[in-house]
Amino acid sequence: MSAMLDLTLKIWRQDGPKTRGAFKTYHLKGISTEMSFLEMLDILNEQLIQLGEEPVAFDHDCREGICGMCSLMINGQAHGPETKTTTCQLHMRRFHNHDTIVIEPWRARAFPVIRDLVVDRTAFDRIQAVGGFVSINVGNAPDGNSVPVPKVNADKALDAAVCIGCGACVAACKNASATLFVGAKVSQFALLPQGQAERVQRVQKMVAQMDKEGFGSCTNTSECEAACPAGISVEMISRMNLEFLKATVVGAT
Amino acid sequence: MNWVRQTLLRNWLVRAISTTIGQKLVMGATGLLLCGFLVAHLAGNLLIFQGTEHYNRYAKMLHENELLPVAEAGLLVLFVLHILLSFTTASANTAARPIGYYGKHSKLSGGTFVHAHNYMFLTGVLVLGFTLLHLSDMRFAHLNLRLKYDSTLDPAAHALHVLHDPISAPVYLLGSLVLGFHVSHGFQSAFKSLGLNHPKYTPFLSKLSILFGIAIGLGFASMPFWYYFAGH
Ligand code: FES
Repeated sequence: MSAMLDLTLKIWRQDGPKTRGAFKTYHLKGISTEMSFLEMLDILNEQLIQLGEEPVAFDHDCREGICGMCSLMINGQAHGPETKTTTCQLHMRRFHNHDTIVIEPWRARAFPVIRDLVVDRTAFDRIQAVGGFVSINVGNAPDGNSVPVPKVNADKALDAAVCIGCGACVAACKNASATLFVGAKVSQFALLPQGQAERVQRVQKMVAQMDKEGFGSCTNTSECEAACPAGISVEMISRMNLEFLKATVVGAT
Repeated sequence: MNWVRQTLLRNWLVRAISTTIGQKLVMGATGLLLCGFLVAHLAGNLLIFQGTEHYNRYAKMLHENELLPVAEAGLLVLFVLHILLSFTTASANTAARPIGYYGKHSKLSGGTFVHAHNYMFLTGVLVLGFTLLHLSDMRFAHLNLRLKYDSTLDPAAHALHVLHDPISAPVYLLGSLVLGFHVSHGFQSAFKSLGLNHPKYTPFLSKLSILFGIAIGLGFASMPFWYYFAGH
């Protein structure tokens, strides 16, 4: 049942972090609706290479929605028109013949463009590095049954832990806020007994780092939740806010 | 200047409030308290429909209360904090995305237009303008040259005088509706900023917030509408 599409692509091209970028238009013929969005870009790049032009740089790795590397703003929507879908899981059957598709990188001060559609998301790594972990000295693993976790909390912690760190929340937020990401990372530990020891410092440090990176603040618009390929709920943001409030009141510093 | 900043930041409270999360916590708390003020203010004002004597009795009671200056000072603090933080967060939010998108489309249902959350700063600024006019009409009426303040008028007569003013009345009507739109998002958003987002309460609060916005908007707008536009 596959059909063929002729498409016009408007793609952001930028040589490097310091250079000015601009949109460039490409025409692509004979794209199968069975292809994934990234395969369509692969075809474009092969054609560009044959023409002796620079291929379009874009991030990708697993191509099955688990690594969080792919990161495209497609027609003004993070990861394209589908919900709970990464760019790599998006298929061309979602588009129509003669469509124009605008492809942009994530736009945020904290995510500077490295080249074309590739942005630097190490800001997320730095936020993780200041508190997104539990410090446990090695030794025998405790017996599973000796660490009781209510089922609801285990489920919620897992709901938070499915974050793939792609940055779509930041891209979709009108304030380029990273609160959904940080909220998920804070929640995942706050909900489990293993996360209690560092609970207070964790939220304080991660919030401080988030601000240092230059992300905006949350206006509770829920655009992030709608754009999140992992379906993370904005409940995580409120949990982080509460954690922060508690840490401010009871924390030693 | 930098050392002032550094010294201030050594304080835990200053440090907490200067984070984006802390700013939104204060924004939410002040917003919610201001919502409480709106309810009290509306309840008092609506007495005018019951008759001018009711309104005057209420005004007298209010003005004779020795704690009124304290309440006014508290209200001023709430307003100033809420407004100040709206400017700091809005400018930080603009700075967080120096290069915008070619076109951006919401994944939320209903598109961009109907969502009050997309216009909080704009509606906030409009409400601020309306509030300033309102203050000059009422609280500082004796300094107001435009309205030709008459100190022999009782509170209800003065209110009716203002509500029949060709500038104030339309501004009050529109300002009230914009205020209603603003709080229809603000009310439920405040809870989320303060850390309350719970599957049991949030759906209810979201609906309540819309009703609250409608009640506040129509409630305040009813007065300029009735007295100026309906010609009573
Ligand atoms: S490439 Fe791994 S999630 Fe898309």
